[in-house]
Amino acid sequence: MTGSMHPTATDAATTAVTVNGSEMSVAEVAPHTTTLQWLRGSGITGPKEGCAEGECGACAVMVARPGGDGGTRWTSINSCLVPAAALAGQEIYTAEGLASSEALHPVQQEMAMRGGSQCGFCTPGFVCSMAAEYYRKDRSGCACGEAGCGTAPTTSDIVSAARVVPSGNELPWSLAVDDDARPLAPGLPPRTAVDPPARTEPATRYESTPGHEPETGPNGFDLHALSGNLCRCTGYRPIRDAAFALGDVDPRDPLAQRRDRPAPASRPLRLGSPGSAFVRPADLDEALGLLAETPDAVLLAGSTDWGVELTIKHRRAPLTIAIDQLDELRRFHVSDDHVEIGAGLTITEVERHLDGSVPLLAELFPLFASQLIRNAATIGGNLGTGSPIGDTAPALLALDAGLVLASSRGERTIALADYFTGYRKSVRTADEIIKSVVIPMPVLPLGRFYKVAKRKFDDISSVAVAIAARVTDGEVAEIRVGVGGAAATTIRARETEAFLRGKPWTAETFEAAAEIMRVEGTPMSDHRASARYRSATLAQSIRRFHEEVAS
Amino acid sequence: MTVQHTGTAGQDLERIDGVAKVRGLAPYAYEHQVDNPLYLHPLQATISRGRIETIDTTQAQAAPGVVAVMTHLDAPRLAGTDDAELAILQSPAVGFRGQFIGAVLAETPEAARAAAALVRVEYTEEPHEAELRADRDDLYAPEQVNAGFPTDTRDGDPESAIAAAQVVVDQTYTTPFEHNNPMEPHTTVAQWVGDELVLHDSTQGVHPVRQTLAPVFGIAPEKIRVIAPNVGGGFGSKGVPHAHVVLTAMAAQRSNGRPVKYALTRQQMFFLAGYRTPTIQHVRLGADASGQLSGIIHDVIEQTSRIKEFAEQTAVPARMMYAAENRATSHRVAKLDVPVPSWMRAPGECPGMFGPEVAMDELAEACGIDPIELRVLNEPDIDPESGKPFASRHLVECLREGARRFGWADRDPQPRSRLVDGWYTGTGVASSTYPARRQTGNTARIRHDRAGRYSVQIGAVDIGTGAWTALTQIAAEALGCNAADIDLQIGDTDFPVATVAGGSTGTTSWGAAIIAAAQAFRDRHGDQPAVGAHAEGEAGENPAAQEYALHSFGAQFAEVQVHADTGEIRVSRMLGVFSAGRIINPRTARSQFLGGMTMGLGMALHENSVMDPRFGMIVNHDFAEYHIPTNADVRDMEAVWLDEVDEHAGKLGARGIGEIGIVGAAAAIANAAYHATGIRVRDLPLTADRFLA
Repeated sequence: MTGSMHPTATDAATTAVTVNGSEMSVAEVAPHTTTLQWLRGSGITGPKEGCAEGECGACAVMVARPGGDGGTRWTSINSCLVPAAALAGQEIYTAEGLASSEALHPVQQEMAMRGGSQCGFCTPGFVCSMAAEYYRKDRSGCACGEAGCGTAPTTSDIVSAARVVPSGNELPWSLAVDDDARPLAPGLPPRTAVDPPARTEPATRYESTPGHEPETGPNGFDLHALSGNLCRCTGYRPIRDAAFALGDVDPRDPLAQRRDRPAPASRPLRLGSPGSAFVRPADLDEALGLLAETPDAVLLAGSTDWGVELTIKHRRAPLTIAIDQLDELRRFHVSDDHVEIGAGLTITEVERHLDGSVPLLAELFPLFASQLIRNAATIGGNLGTGSPIGDTAPALLALDAGLVLASSRGERTIALADYFTGYRKSVRTADEIIKSVVIPMPVLPLGRFYKVAKRKFDDISSVAVAIAARVTDGEVAEIRVGVGGAAATTIRARETEAFLRGKPWTAETFEAAAEIMRVEGTPMSDHRASARYRSATLAQSIRRFHEEVAS
Repeated sequence: MTVQHTGTAGQDLERIDGVAKVRGLAPYAYEHQVDNPLYLHPLQATISRGRIETIDTTQAQAAPGVVAVMTHLDAPRLAGTDDAELAILQSPAVGFRGQFIGAVLAETPEAARAAAALVRVEYTEEPHEAELRADRDDLYAPEQVNAGFPTDTRDGDPESAIAAAQVVVDQTYTTPFEHNNPMEPHTTVAQWVGDELVLHDSTQGVHPVRQTLAPVFGIAPEKIRVIAPNVGGGFGSKGVPHAHVVLTAMAAQRSNGRPVKYALTRQQMFFLAGYRTPTIQHVRLGADASGQLSGIIHDVIEQTSRIKEFAEQTAVPARMMYAAENRATSHRVAKLDVPVPSWMRAPGECPGMFGPEVAMDELAEACGIDPIELRVLNEPDIDPESGKPFASRHLVECLREGARRFGWADRDPQPRSRLVDGWYTGTGVASSTYPARRQTGNTARIRHDRAGRYSVQIGAVDIGTGAWTALTQIAAEALGCNAADIDLQIGDTDFPVATVAGGSTGTTSWGAAIIAAAQAFRDRHGDQPAVGAHAEGEAGENPAAQEYALHSFGAQFAEVQVHADTGEIRVSRMLGVFSAGRIINPRTARSQFLGGMTMGLGMALHENSVMDPRFGMIVNHDFAEYHIPTNADVRDMEAVWLDEVDEHAGKLGARGIGEIGIVGAAAAIANAAYHATGIRVRDLPLTADRFLA
């Protein structure tokens, strides 16, 4: 196969997506058609369109993705963002496929029983996100907190606790108080306000320590798994009740067994027609060749950015080159002096690979968009789009990361600090692909990531500040500060860094540094935050860093 | 057989529609199978006021897959144009940015959208006004406000009472421009079959849609069938048909009988599906040193669109909430070149309880008394507005019960005195209220289909509230059978007439009709009804409403944390205690209360449609920028209710619960934020920048 500009559909196996266990062809599907549009157009209407931009999760489906252990990890993604062609050769499940004809899936059972579904429009997406977390191999424990037990408070326990029953004066729940077959005759007992009755204590309910709502259930369920799914009806509590009540996975469950086999292999693919083509190249060289021939091609990795261009802006590309499954972009390598992270690894995968070894990034990952987005978005894509409010860039700047850029002309390594040149602009040329991100090791021992956004999770940063430092003999020996949301690009707070370098590690030093930090960048006012607020939070981040690290 | 009373209403029944929904198989409007449909993509105005001079559809007409392009030049003429929101494509006039000015019909959604981008429009722009300000000189008093309430009220001489008062609160509060944002975007599938119009619509009321559209199209209501078995939320925005229903039905007149499908995008919903007006509320309270109120004045400024008046009844709750001899309320409205406002969950009460309930918190502090005690002190004996006794007013019990559960007794009233791990922490309380109304004009039909099985038909709609389940329970109880013996049929104008799922009236109004039908059925057919026996029943007015003031009440408690460095605000705890009459299904009721409280949390912290008045443009018109609460924003939240039956609320004893959960929630959070930080924020949402001293 060459870099021909006239790609054609390949064999049936390559162009099939296995949906709920049955193969469906995407051979005739246009490259700009999202998975959600394709599924719904094919009569699989469980996934819904609530926003068409990856914010609400009503479209979530489960995909069989490499588990990192040679097996498969069920992963939920927003189907509204991913072109259907990008899932060719893959296996996905929607809510419809989780239940058998007779029995509900345990996730569906809990959602139905506990009132996790009201209007129901968000429900199939919640079911898929919840099921993916249900199948996470390292999730363990039963809803009661005891391994292998299987009991959880019932919804009856929960709702009965919500009734305030006047003691000694319990009212019938029924209008009809006896079994005499008389016509409807309620005979309601009178109730007056003059005698406020004493209240009974509530029954045991699913309760957390006030102010410290757990983000992990007693069954090991990580609530972040649902962070990208919005519900407007239930207030989330019944959904959380359902998630935290899930038991252990039944080893006979075919989806559980599927985890022990490898995820579907990547296969090269060509679809579409000239002017509207989709290519999954066999290797990096082929991708680079295609890109060199077609500089206006779109590189597709997680599609969390391109998907929005497709649906909201209705942009169309002459050629889409899928690079998310290229082996060369999916490597993770650790040596004594650096970590090299393949640009095609998703944020979720990077988090798993690093496993806390870079604390600054470990702080960042849970704040990066939502789990649904992290499951698709790649680290290379987050840098490649050049957004000034992408969250990885400030952290990687503070870590002094470099990028390996590959083209058919060869490879070059460039410091991330020299990468961004303007709003969504960088030194990357049209024929280059970000191949990997290189973080020098060991990282500076002190690291903090501060993200200020309008909403705690599932939001774009108003301001993001990443600080990495080393203190030696009571002095700031080294410090790097990466800042997002304060200029047209992510920046290093150079003047603040220069001021701090060599200064004593004291509150006074950082108080003075905060005033320098306050005027770093060129923050603007928009509906996310005012310029004044952005400047104030920049200053606060420097003070806070010292306070938190010192304590 | 013998009909037995089993008492299924009140039982903690699982949601009947839950199984289909978790399987992803419950069909919503877009998903009903129709043959050979066409797809609509709208053309929308890109100016805020003016007229279309030329509209060139040549390229669009010639685009692949296009069947028709419709503009004001060639659209079908509507028979009724009194409702300017619905009278689209009838003239070149543009009333607001985003208004429909045409539509493309094509074989695929992609073709329709691509062709719509090819239409060229030239306008003559006129100066527009899109900014609501208190100092506008064109504010006017509408004839009445929403739901038929008087625009202004006055009892006694509140100005003098406040002038003479020992303690005065005189402040201005604002509530945000909010969009309902149900998860299912508004959707219509329309098909003309001969002279009959069939609509699969995402609506809160099938009969209201029919009754609204019939005069618009100049046909008898019976010629319109509306079907809506499942609706993905509404919160008021689907309470009346908006212009997209008309557009789709018009387009279906140009489709040679083929059905036309149109689902609004999330972005389009910000211009075309209603919203809650922003409000500017001037609240004045006068009290003696003990906190006893002598005067209440609540003056509200809000907006409507220039093309159609919708005057939110914001000051209505101040008329009945607390005992003060001297009270005055007013509404003044600005007509702006903006989209048409409409109902949003607890219209009136929700924004209207924000200003007064924060003012009460300020008064409590000024008097040096506990905010709960202040409310108890001003508890009226009778409805101050109507002079009638309250059928059931348990506000004090709600406050006391909430205080006990929330740990209010340990509260140190001193603001900004609890800093824990970098977070200032505080607690707040506010009252909640919502009127209990029963809508007339509901009929139900019951038929004994086969031995022991009863079909119950009514044109009610379940928008997620639990109507499928609650009405089944009510029917089973009224007939004296098990819920499993009831085959409830709703969501179709082929069933007997029903009113809208709105105003917290659905369950009580439809339920009253079902009880009436059951009563008629039993009267006529006795205990041994033959198969095929049937009866209808219609619910009239609630006679008790003549003698009593019928309202629900509640108490909202919130604990808030504000970060000392960044001002970020989190609601760590919320508790709502409600008195809403009989609860038909505790499981679905709990979700309704919690959902309302969560929407109130959204109002407090996030929700705010940002108008750029230069362009009449809603800047943040999507879910990326218009934030509703996520799972992580809702932490320890609980709703409880008094176990009661309102003997004056009809045979059902229920008052409706869809809206009271949101009322007062934002005020409780704002009061807690003050207690946490000592910074009184009187404007919603409570954004972080407000708390950086």
